[in-house]
Order: sequence, then structure tokens, then C-alpha cells
Amino acid sequence: MAVAEASRSALDDADPARQRPGFLDAGTLPQPAPRLSADLPRSGRRSVVFFTRPDGLDDLCRSLATGRLAQRADLAVVVSGPGKCGGVATINDPVARFGRAYGLDRPRTGGPPVGYAVLDSRGLIRYRTLDPTVAEHPGEVDTIVRAVP
Amino acid sequence: MNAVRRARSLRLCLWCGATVAVEVSLYLSYRGHDARFHWFTHFFVGASAALVVMAVVTLRTGRAVASPLVWPLLGHVFAMAPDLLFAGGIAHQRWMDVFLGHISSHFVPGRNLTWYAVFLAALVLYLAAVDRSAQR
Repeated sequence: MAVAEASRSALDDADPARQRPGFLDAGTLPQPAPRLSADLPRSGRRSVVFFTRPDGLDDLCRSLATGRLAQRADLAVVVSGPGKCGGVATINDPVARFGRAYGLDRPRTGGPPVGYAVLDSRGLIRYRTLDPTVAEHPGEVDTIVRAVP
Repeated sequence: MNAVRRARSLRLCLWCGATVAVEVSLYLSYRGHDARFHWFTHFFVGASAALVVMAVVTLRTGRAVASPLVWPLLGHVFAMAPDLLFAGGIAHQRWMDVFLGHISSHFVPGRNLTWYAVFLAALVLYLAAVDRSAQR
């Protein structure tokens, strides 16, 4: 257990039970999602809002470009610095305002969160988690999205 | 007589080796998803439940159970069953707590340290049951 704990990422949640729980409506959820822009989130469409840092943006965008997630939900990327994500709506948020507004935990070593939130078609946050390796397993996000109405 | 004992030991070793190999592969599958915390939780919970059952069976039959490493493995696989479903594209739901508290077991105070203590207590219980049955 000590070895597993020592090898955790600096971007992981301080409480591992709260990271990638795999079920909807944990804790105080569901709750209304703050607006990211005039268009997002859209009523009647599920949404996934990814939170990342500039150094993880390329991997995330590559993963989103090759996956089928966009067919099931509107996608948005909030990046805590400069950068764009191809055809995906990108919000530059250097002060991590949206990370706090969406209620994502702070990583164990602080700084902006890296993870995602899944919104249902009524604009409610149903799932949120830190996940520094989300680009490696988009299928997991897809599983959550399919569980959301 | 020695040959019989040797064959029995070999069979026991095969069971032990197979069980350990399965547990290692399960652990590696969780490591691949950066979710080792979950492996520990379900291992401790499943193995603890199995050890309690093993203790009861031992006390009732007056004999230690056969293939004692396999029981905790089965308990572990039962406790982690929803993770197998998740890998197949089915998200977790609250009712999945029927699998030895698959959802809520992660949120006990003390997290995995608590389950480690429970596991040790269950192990002591089983060993005490074996000791008692041997003294009969």
C-alpha cells in the first residue's frame, strides 16, 4: 500500500476515494453547471467539460479527435493557460475560475485541476473527478456519458 | 507415504501459485488504470468476508478449509465484480453495493487503512478457528 501511495501522481486527488468513483451523483451532485460561454452548456445535449493544463493539452486534444465522444455529447476544454484544442470549444482560464465553479477538487500538490465533469441534457453536473490520465482512457468517459440522461 | 505427502504439497503449491498469479494480474489490470487504491479496497473487503466464512466453516466442520488461498480470491472477485462490468461499459450504480459494499466501502473513515485492520482481524479469527479445530 505504501508503494502504491508513493507512486501516485501529483495531480491526483488527495482523497483517492473521490477520484474516478465511476458512479453518478456523488456527494452534493447533481447541481447546476455554471455557463462556460453563451453556447455551453446547451439545453437538450449532454456535455463533457475537460479541465487540463497547457502541458497536457496536446495529448487530450489528440485523444478527443480520435474518439467518438463528440457524437454523444458537446465537448469543451478548459485550459489553465494559453492554447487551443482544434475543433473543440476551448476556454482559457489561467486563474482556474471554472475549476472551482464546477467543484473539482484541488490536486494533492495544489494548482489547477486536471479532470472532467459530465453534464446531463438539463445542464446539471452529474459526475466530476480529477483524472490526470484521462487522455489515455476516453472509453471511461464514454461509459459515464452513456449513463447520463 | 512420503510420495503421497509430496504430491499433496505439490498440488497445494499449484493452487497457491495459481491464486497468487491471478491476484497479481488483477493488480496489474488496476495499475494500468491508475486505480490501485480500488484494488486494495476490494481485496481487503473480499478477503475479509472470505476469512470470516472460512472461520465459521472451520469451526463447524472441525477441519481447516481446503485450498485456503482460493476463498479470499473468490471473495475479492465477487467484491470487484462491478469493476468488471465497468470495463464492459456499464457505469457503477448504488445497488452495486450488494457486491460487498462495492460503492460505499471506498468511503469509510480511514479508507484502506481501516480495511487493512479489518482484514488482519479476520485473518486472526480464521487462524484462531484453525488452531481450535486442531486442538479438538
